[in-house]
Parts: sequence; C-alpha cells; structure tokens
Amino acid sequence: MDALQLLGEGFVGALTLQNLMWVVIGCVLGTAVGVMPGLGSSMAVALLLPVTFSLEPTAAFIMFSGVYFGGLFGDSTMGILMNTPGQASAIASTFEGHKMALNGRAAQALATAAIGAFIGGMVSSVLVVFMAPALAAFSTSFGPAEFFALAVFAFVATSSVVTDNAIKGLSALFIGLGIATIGIDGISGAQRFTMGSPNLFDGVSLVTVTVAVLALGEVIYVACLERHIAGKGMIRPKGRPWLSRAEFREALPAWLRGTAIGLPFGVVPAGGADIPTFLAYGVEKQLDKRRSTPKFGTGAIRGLAAPESAGNATTGMAMGALLALGLPISATAAIMLAAFRQYGLQPGPLLFERAPELVWALLASFFIAMVVLLVLNLPFAMLWAKLLLIPRPFLYAGITLFCALGIYATSGKVFDLLMLLAIGVVGFLMRALDFPLAPLIIGMVLGPLAETSLRDAAMSANGDFSVLVQSPIALVMYAVLLLVLGFAVRGRIVSRRREKAAVAV
Amino acid sequence: MNHDSMKPMANPTAMSAVLGEEIELGSRPGGAGALLKDLIMPALLVAFATYLLFGIFAMEVPEGTTFPGPAFFPGLITAALYLFAVLLVIGALREHRAAGNAEGLLSGDPVVFSGAAGASGASGTDEPHDPAVEIVSVDGIENAGGIDDASSAKRVGVDWKSMAWIVLPFLVFALTLQFLGWVIGAALLFVCVARGFGEKRVLLSTVTGLTVSSFAYIAFDMALGMQLPSGILGGGF
Repeated sequence: MDALQLLGEGFVGALTLQNLMWVVIGCVLGTAVGVMPGLGSSMAVALLLPVTFSLEPTAAFIMFSGVYFGGLFGDSTMGILMNTPGQASAIASTFEGHKMALNGRAAQALATAAIGAFIGGMVSSVLVVFMAPALAAFSTSFGPAEFFALAVFAFVATSSVVTDNAIKGLSALFIGLGIATIGIDGISGAQRFTMGSPNLFDGVSLVTVTVAVLALGEVIYVACLERHIAGKGMIRPKGRPWLSRAEFREALPAWLRGTAIGLPFGVVPAGGADIPTFLAYGVEKQLDKRRSTPKFGTGAIRGLAAPESAGNATTGMAMGALLALGLPISATAAIMLAAFRQYGLQPGPLLFERAPELVWALLASFFIAMVVLLVLNLPFAMLWAKLLLIPRPFLYAGITLFCALGIYATSGKVFDLLMLLAIGVVGFLMRALDFPLAPLIIGMVLGPLAETSLRDAAMSANGDFSVLVQSPIALVMYAVLLLVLGFAVRGRIVSRRREKAAVAV
Repeated sequence: MNHDSMKPMANPTAMSAVLGEEIELGSRPGGAGALLKDLIMPALLVAFATYLLFGIFAMEVPEGTTFPGPAFFPGLITAALYLFAVLLVIGALREHRAAGNAEGLLSGDPVVFSGAAGASGASGTDEPHDPAVEIVSVDGIENAGGIDDASSAKRVGVDWKSMAWIVLPFLVFALTLQFLGWVIGAALLFVCVARGFGEKRVLLSTVTGLTVSSFAYIAFDMALGMQLPSGILGGGF
C-alpha cells in the first residue's frame, strides 16, 4: 500500500491548477504534432523538449508526459483517415483502421483507437506504479558489468533484431556511439575529438542530435522527396464518435489482449512499440480466421483495437523501465532521458530516493494525461483532422523555425545551430537511403553508459575483461539476447526460404 | 508462436517506414547512379571514422591513466565504423552486379518496406515474385510475404532545388542571427523553407512568417524567458 500512498501524494502534487494547465497544454501539443502525417510521437517529443526547459522540473515533466502520450493518441488518427501513419508503431493500426474508415465507420474507428490507447496506457501506468519501485530496488544491485550487459542488449536489439538490415542498423548505431564520445572524457579528463574548440567540450548535445535527425532531417526529406508523391484524399468522418454496445463488446477482448501483448515489451530493450503492435495485429488475425465469419480485410474493429492498446501499453511500461533502470527502450524514451539529464537528474535506481516528489507527480500525471487525452480525442478527433488544412509549406516552415528556436534557446550558441544543420543533412541522407534512425539515437544515449561501465568494470579488475561475464544477472541477459537473436535469424531464414519456394513455383 | 504473427519482426524500427508508396531514390538499379547512391553512406562512415582516428592519435592522455583509457572505446568504434563501411560497399557492389545481370527483367521495384507486405501477405496467398525481389533479398533486405502490384515503388529523384532552399537559408540564418535578430531572421528562414516546399506567393509567406516569428518571440522570449536575440530591431526598444 506504500505505493498507493506515495501515488496519492503524487496526485496532490500534480493536481495544482498550474500543473493541470501544463498537462492540458502538453496533451494538446502532443496530439497536434502526432496527428500531422509523417510526424510521429518521437518527433513531437523531440520538438517540444527544448520548450520545456524553461519550466521548473515538475511542471516540465508533467507537460512532457502529456506530449509523450498525446503523440501516441494522435498517431493513429491520420493512419485511419488518410492511410498515412505518423510513425512505425501506428502502421499495424492502419490496416483495418483505414478499411473501417473506407466503409463509412471512420468515427467509430477513431473512437476504437482512442479507447484502445486509453486502456493500454492506463493498465501499464498502474503496473508501473507498483512495479517500478521494486524494479528500481532490484537494480540497485547492478554493477558496471550488469549495466554494460543492459546497454549491449539495447544496442543489439534496436540495431539488428528489429531492423531489416543489420549492417545498416549497426552503422547507424556506431555513428551514434561515435558522436557520444566527443567531449571531455568523464573518467580521465582527456579532451576527445574537440579539436580544441570549447564548443565541443561538453560534447554534442543529445537534444541537438534528436531534433536534427528526427525533425530537421524529416523536413528536408519531405521537401526533397516525399512531397513529389501525389497526396492522398482524406476521409471525412461522419456520425457519432461513440461505439454501440455491440461494438464495444466486440472490441473489448482485443483491447485487453493487445494490452497483454504490449506490456512485456515495455521492459525489453527491443526498439519500442513497433513489434508488439504487429504481434497484436497478427494474433487478432489468427483468432479471426477461426471465426465462422472472418472479418479481417473488411475493417475489423478488433484488428484496430489490439495494436492500438498494445502500442500504448508498451509505451507506458517503457516509461517505467526508464524511471527504474534509466534504460530507454525506444527513441522517444531516449529523448525523455535527455530531458531528465537536462535537469541534472539521472533516471535509475536512485531517482526514487533522490527526487520522490518529482517521480510520483510524474506517475500521477500519466493518469491525468490519459483522462485528458481521452476527452480530447474521443469527441474531437474530427477537429484534430482539421489541422491538415494548414498548407504544407507553412507547416514545415513552422517546424523548421521551431527546430532553430529550441536549439538556440537551450544553448544560445550559433555553433549549435550549425551542428543542427550538419546532423540534419546526415539524418536526411540516412532517411533517404533507408538507414534506421532509432539506433543512432539509442547509441548516442547509451554510449556513455556502456563506455563508463565497460571501463569501470575492467579497471576494477586490473584490465581483465572477463569480469563482464562473471555476474549471473549479466549472464542471464546475454543468454536472453542470444535467444532473441536466434529467433530473429530463424524467422528470417524461414521467410527467405518461403520466398525462394514462391519464386521457384 | 505462429510464424505468420512472427513475421512482422522484419519490420524496421526505421522512422522511414511509411505505408503506401515506397520512394526509391534516383536512378535505376544496376546503373552507375545507383552504385554511387549506395556509396554515400560508406563514404560518410569512413569520413567520420577517419576523424575519430586522427582524434585518437592527437589525444593528450593525462599521466597515470590506467587501461582502458579514454582512447579505448573510441578505438573500438572507429574500427567498427571502418568495418561496416567495407561491408556496405561489398553489399552495394554485389547488388550492383546482380542488378546488372538481371537488367531487362526488372519490371517492378523492390518493396523495401517489408512490414506491411508481410502482414498483408500473411493471408497465405503467395503471389509469384518478380526477379527484383530475389535480388534485393540477396542484400539481406527482407521481403516477407507477397507484394501487391499496386505497391510498386515510385522513382523520385532528389529535388536539389528544394534542398538548396532549405539548407542554404538555414546556414545564412544561423550566421546572421545575432545581427538580424530572431524576428527578421526567422521570418526570412520561414519564407525560404516555404519556397522550398513550392510556395511561390512571397507576400503571403512573408506575412505568415513574420506573424509566426513574432508570436514565437513573444511567447518564448517575453513570456517564458528564453533568450532570443533581438538584433537590429532591438536598438529601437
């Protein structure tokens, strides 16, 4: 009951008029960016991160949780109405969701998505409240070897297992790792790769890299390539955004199944919500086949409900993993980690002891954000769709201004703007040449952790690297990683063999 | 776990996963242009790795640093970057040769985004594949499941003019920000980026840009207390 009491105190802290205002602003902004086609929740978080730095920490994080979940609520709206999902984790919702919209059930599809996101987010937030402190307590026994194992797990999972081309993923990862080594070395105090320029003593800021790669690179990409593809028409939703009782009953098991699938992925560093959404979709599809009248392909409500709730369940749990272990499992969580660091806070086991008011107010604001988002999205989804009326040139020009504003306002240095541009161009190239961007950000975030723990472990053992594989927890992590890799390789071989068979026919 | 539901494992975390038409950059596969395109990233990796290598040699390691010192981890990264550059070049050359052999047979284009193809093809109706698919999968790109005819990629070249309209003004914006101030500099940047997106009504975008930059100035500088330069406009206040 300890957790409940602390959560209660968190609610007291979060439910001030001013904090409520920040939640609502965060939710509105997050949904607005999430709704825009091509702009997902990670971009919402990256763009709005610098803005929050002028607030005091609690208000900033409360606003941030609104942005974080708001982006996810908004993601699916455009996927349903225009068949253009905001980001990878919204793709699975698009298959059946867009078909529902085509059948004139757009309003119901939006409602299903919003309720699904709500259920997934709520359940995971409850779990985080009860599990995060325990997880944090457990991880206090972690030493350098364990943290190194965690980082390696995240590296391999995000760069190889969930990407289509391991070499491309690993290239992106090592670019991120390389950028992270720039600056003064924390252990020895040596200057690394600064060319003597004071601008680089503190290294390249993670905020600059994320905004450059996710936002500015995206702007260049859309300008140079994507806009030359004919746009699609949007379906205008009509009718009531409420679900009938029959529809609700139909969708409920799918929401719950999706949530159950999504939850475990929140603590596995495997790249975020993409895999669970597809898994949830796949499971519903298999179950649907067994029914007397299969509905998939014609706009099945379950095919939309499950991935939506799975995605949000993962995202909610990911916040738990971030708070308790300091381990970001997705690009979005990585940016959240950057936000914590900006305030001199290090997520992880000690955060619950050092800044309990902040943590519990943040957890309480998850619940508030969920409710606010449900209110914002359920009846007003059609209003959000009106955001598309902003002409694209002005929309992207505005985003460019926002990138510049955020970076300049946080550092006040022209050098950072130039860095933003340079990395933005690199981000554009990677995007255009189909290199995944998430590993770069993960590498950038976890690189320092990996390096420090590697060196700490080796130094304490007089340069003997075998200490890395001597702790049981680390060994278990490596074993799980090998298992996951094995599954991924097997899956690939099977599908390639199938393909060959298909070609031979 | 059933295989069909596992398939989407191949889905990229890449933010580049966009449903619908897949954009293919530049020239046809097998051409010299395509090969050049594939060599961009390796070149970038080599450049970055070389920068790190020089940095490692130039690094002044303080006395008494025990192994593994500050150059150890960057050394690993540098080696890995060179390795991946080489692997990417080998992959590109292999694809280049394979595409060259299969020229004339290429009708459709490789569908790079495999998650959608995998899930939509999971119904079990395996359509006959065209040779392009096979070639691509040599390079390790997954093509799980069938491919709809409609989803064949659209070939688009990079719009260099748009690129110039965004990158150059941003450079100028960054360098003149202190002098011009936020309101004017940002408005000019706004106009240029909008131009890069094909907006030719300069007056309209100037008015919009000035409005947006002024509002941003009011909200973030005056209300939230962030530091934005007032520049030449600041002299008057």
